[in-house]
Amino acid sequence: MAPLQKRALFSLVIGVVFTIALILIFIVKGDVTTFDDDLGFRFIVYALWVGVPLAYLIAVNLTLRKPEQIDERDKLIMARAARVQLLAVILSMAAWVIVLTEVFWEGGQVPVVFLTLIMISTLVVSTLAQSFGILIGYWRNWGMGGDGR
Amino acid sequence: MAARIVNRIRRLRFDHDEMTQQELAHKVGCTRQTIVALEQGKYVPSLALAFEIARTFGVTIEEVFQYGK
Repeated sequence: MAPLQKRALFSLVIGVVFTIALILIFIVKGDVTTFDDDLGFRFIVYALWVGVPLAYLIAVNLTLRKPEQIDERDKLIMARAARVQLLAVILSMAAWVIVLTEVFWEGGQVPVVFLTLIMISTLVVSTLAQSFGILIGYWRNWGMGGDGR
Repeated sequence: MAARIVNRIRRLRFDHDEMTQQELAHKVGCTRQTIVALEQGKYVPSLALAFEIARTFGVTIEEVFQYGK
């Protein structure tokens, strides 16, 4: 497995675990408005918010320590994976707009906590999509042509 | 009919003191996985990498890569 492939796999696993943990915490602790009232709940989310990027950095440093571990083929795959990443972020933002519009249409107001949730989810979706795109790239032999095709 | 680029990298490696994929990768500045992909015909290198591979083996680029239909 190429070093970049390993990094993408670690990132995907860490991202999925983080997402599941975050969803479970929100389910266990109550709805999103609990976030404003429950200090302990906010600390758990903040701990995840710090711990997960640390785990990600450790995974990256363990798998990609030398610059020469990414070559021209890896760069082509990363470039193609960026398209997957962009598409995923756009779809994620569209989903938020549609869901929040439909849920809060009557009230005419969206709780402030959703600003944090949108930011967190966009970062998670972006990271997951990049990792997924890279893994698909290796599987489907993206960057087949050295001239960028 | 689409053109296809084939190569003799694996043969040339064995002819050069049974050079390993890792050794070749190190000499030309790419990863071992890229050499694997090249030998399996799953990747077509850039011109720069193709010239680097040819220079490592001390042959012309046409002796490493062949372009045909």
